[in-house]
Amino acid sequence: MLALGMATVAMSAMGQDALPAPSPVEKALAEKASHVTEVTLDKNMLAFAAKFMDKEDEKDGTKEMIRNLKGVYVREYEFDKDNSYTAADLEALRKYIQTSEWSSMVKERSKSASEGTDVFVKLVNGQMEGLFVVDAEARELSLVLILGPIDVDKISSLGGTFGIPKDAVKSVKKAQKEAGK
Amino acid sequence: MRQRESKATFWSALLVVLGIACILTPAIVLAAGGSGQGFDAIVRSIEVRYHAHATRIPFMGLISGIAGISTHGGVRGLHVAEFEHFRAGDEPDLNFDGAEFNALVEEHVGHGWQRMIRETGRGKEQTLIYVRQEGEHMGMLVVDLSGNDLDVVQLSVNPEHLMDEVSKHRHEHGRDHNADKDEDRDDLE
Repeated sequence: MLALGMATVAMSAMGQDALPAPSPVEKALAEKASHVTEVTLDKNMLAFAAKFMDKEDEKDGTKEMIRNLKGVYVREYEFDKDNSYTAADLEALRKYIQTSEWSSMVKERSKSASEGTDVFVKLVNGQMEGLFVVDAEARELSLVLILGPIDVDKISSLGGTFGIPKDAVKSVKKAQKEAGK
Repeated sequence: MRQRESKATFWSALLVVLGIACILTPAIVLAAGGSGQGFDAIVRSIEVRYHAHATRIPFMGLISGIAGISTHGGVRGLHVAEFEHFRAGDEPDLNFDGAEFNALVEEHVGHGWQRMIRETGRGKEQTLIYVRQEGEHMGMLVVDLSGNDLDVVQLSVNPEHLMDEVSKHRHEHGRDHNADKDEDRDDLE
């Protein structure tokens, strides 16, 4: 009942484009991880952080895109050994984001039950207004949540910026290419 | 005679006041370590909680001024405190409570600061980066704990000035930054 309540609060917060409160699973993952990276940027911080970008980024519109984002939330967990997280943990993380506004864009699974990549997008009137990536590897788990208007053509520029792993961006680009075929 | 008596009263009153001050000073210092906000409050609270001593860099005001001039106002307000041989009491490093350390910094960081990055590792590994808007500047507060070394650094950066300086240096050194960037982007395509 408590978990349901927390999920409802998180979902309603997500509906208002606020960054979510960490899911209960994240706390458990952080305790098991040997290394944790947390990056949290709200709209104001992003607008200010955009000023640190090159003038070239201004020309190609990346700076403008970052200025208009509503939030970036990145969590990276590194583990000492394989199978430190379970398929149930991953499922709970995926479910945490799933509301009617979000739809699955990529669902990639490897031989291992828990490893794989999931990309969820939030579409509002055909415009991408949110992106959520869960990238699970044997000893590494990354969560990336980007809220706000996203230009898929410029998404490459976010890889490696604000703690967003390049692999997460690669998955989105790959999905975009496949959707275009 | 009366003058001598009033002098004696004055000296004894002064001694009483000094005595009270001597007794109260450690308590006031300790209390200050537990309250207040900002760079100094963070450093003091760490000193008090972990019985550690921070080395303040001498002539920091001068260094900060030079940094401001050399970056044309890009960087100012430098504060640095360094804890060498930082130990969390007698506990082994693996029992270091990172959450408590984080909470201590959070409690004293002060109004307007938002945590942008937290990186933690096993043992005494923790990096906390806070930012806040200071007009045209961005205030940055970094608390970096790596083993037995702990550094607390605060500075204020003007992103536009700084990026102008960085791009000037890039042009001067003839580095084709855009080529590097394109390479990165191609890698992601």
